[in-house]
Amino acid sequence: MSTEKVIELREVQQRFHARGTPDGYLTAVADASFRLDAEPPQVVSLVGQSGSGKSTIARNVLGLQKPTAGTITYGGKDIFKLNRTEYDEYRRNVQPVFQDPYSIFNPFYRVDRVLWKAVKKFSLASTREAGEALIEESLQAVSLDPGRVLGRYPHQLSGGQRQRIMLARIHMLRPAFVIADEPVSMLDAQIRKLFLDILLDFQREHGMTTLFITHDLSTVYYLGGQVMVITKGEIVERGPVAEVMHTPSHPYTRLLLDSIPQPDPDARWTTRITVNESAATPPTDTATEATPII
Amino acid sequence: MRILNAVLRTVRNSGRLATGLVILAVMVLLALLSPLIVQWIGGGTDPIEVAAYEKWLVPSGDHVLGTDQFGRDVLAMVLSALSVSLQIGAIAGVISTVVGVVVAFVAGYKGGWIDNVLSTFTGILLVIPTFPLLIALSAYAKNVSLFQVGVMISIFSWPFAAKTIRSQVLSLRSRPYVDLARVSKARDLEIITTELLPNLLPFIGVGFASSALGAIFGLVGLEVIGLGPGGVIDLGQIIFNAINTGALTLGAWPMFVVPIVLLTLLFAALNMINIGLEEVYNPRLRGVAGE
Ligand SMILES: Nc1ncnc2c1ncn2[C@@H]1O[C@H](COP(=O)(O)OP(=O)(O)OP(=O)(O)O)[C@@H](O)[C@H]1O
Ligand SMILES: [Mg+2]
Repeated sequence: MSTEKVIELREVQQRFHARGTPDGYLTAVADASFRLDAEPPQVVSLVGQSGSGKSTIARNVLGLQKPTAGTITYGGKDIFKLNRTEYDEYRRNVQPVFQDPYSIFNPFYRVDRVLWKAVKKFSLASTREAGEALIEESLQAVSLDPGRVLGRYPHQLSGGQRQRIMLARIHMLRPAFVIADEPVSMLDAQIRKLFLDILLDFQREHGMTTLFITHDLSTVYYLGGQVMVITKGEIVERGPVAEVMHTPSHPYTRLLLDSIPQPDPDARWTTRITVNESAATPPTDTATEATPII
Repeated sequence: MRILNAVLRTVRNSGRLATGLVILAVMVLLALLSPLIVQWIGGGTDPIEVAAYEKWLVPSGDHVLGTDQFGRDVLAMVLSALSVSLQIGAIAGVISTVVGVVVAFVAGYKGGWIDNVLSTFTGILLVIPTFPLLIALSAYAKNVSLFQVGVMISIFSWPFAAKTIRSQVLSLRSRPYVDLARVSKARDLEIITTELLPNLLPFIGVGFASSALGAIFGLVGLEVIGLGPGGVIDLGQIIFNAINTGALTLGAWPMFVVPIVLLTLLFAALNMINIGLEEVYNPRLRGVAGE
């Protein structure tokens, strides 16, 4: 395809009807303009506190919510005015990983369905065997044992397993852009690192650009690349991660940086303990799943 | 198959639901077999024909529930009437549920002004006192068929189904799995039928049970005060008949008591189904009980 793979937001504004506000509106996104390039593949983090409008931007970019004002283009065309082929191209290339690994699965169906849906809707395989092979390959790419997850219902899997099934779906689709809305915020530290490493692998090996939404600066650090800081629906600072972290120019970024726990050994020790507790709780042991198979 | 499994799983989770379903199943079976039983009671002649037997016979071996003022066998009449009542419930239940589901989905899923218009309309129908309207309607309905009565009553009972289901659609349509379906290029209709509908089955069941119940009792109410549409003999008609002829004073108590017992059982069964379904699918318990 000849369309240039670029997502561009221009002065995007999103308001919602809301009771109890002076003018009856709540402005979730005030004015967001930025551009995501598929070339070179990169990670762009969008960081901000709860309620700053991050998820709303993700839903706008994914075409799930039409902004009140401003435009979002893919390959230079408004994503809400695409023709059939342009739409297919856009859908194929802009795919999400959502925050909550629980409600992302319809409780009525086995987890396989999500993967088969992708195979069928995007014509990834022409035969059933080819589809099965693709699904197995993608599950292995995210360190999941197909035999242990296929045929199960969502509630029979751990959060980490479910979230990696979403990554397997991404692996199958190989979109140019992954819109990841706090994908690790509900995972424990080990699975979190595994997840981020897989995402970085995807960037390197399959050339995916990720818009990584988070409220956690240590994740931003870990991923590197570019970062945008959002507060109250407005992007107040942007630049390479190292630069923004070392010489923040906006007071809000400084505030965010100050709220990171200091790297002293005692503090780290406490987090370790909580991690071990949470790793022990899920019914299916996530810790044993964490070691890559192959 | 998948739906059948889900249903079985649900039933196993609630004793109340199972009890309600068993009682209902027995009654439906009785209704289905009623033509055969009636034939057997008659033994060659029609036991519901006027002057088939002597009038006001007290219960005996030949006529377990006695006969009425026209010499008709009460047991045979009650069984046919049960069948009629259930059929009216089923007809009104199906119509109400289908209309309710369609309206609820269009309103709940599309949202915006469509939702406003449909919800307002549903709301108006909900607050209109339907009983007087039914009385007025049935004044014009002489010698209507059973099906027509069912349709007539369902006009007033679908808003109940629509209201319950709409609120569920609203809560389900913003689930992340709906978003995932949308980015997987699923169309609205596909999302409604494959993502939302299966999760709504219990609520559709509740909608059906409540509107069937409403229809059966609505009709009984009309009959008992003597304003029912002519032409159909349901349980209410028999009760009216018993009251009207003073059957109780003549020792023909089964004519009055048996229909009431059957209606009470039906009421209990449908309500147990309702409560059982809500119990199993209560949002607060869904994480534990649901799959
Ligand atoms: N559909 C909606 N209707 C009304 N208000 C909404 C809607 N979606 C989001 N909002 C409001 O918009 C604001 C921004 O929400 P958003 O979900 O984008 O925040 P966020 O940055 O993702 O927060 P979090 O870190 O908690 O996920 C919030 O005040 C939220 O209540
Ligand atoms: Mg969010």
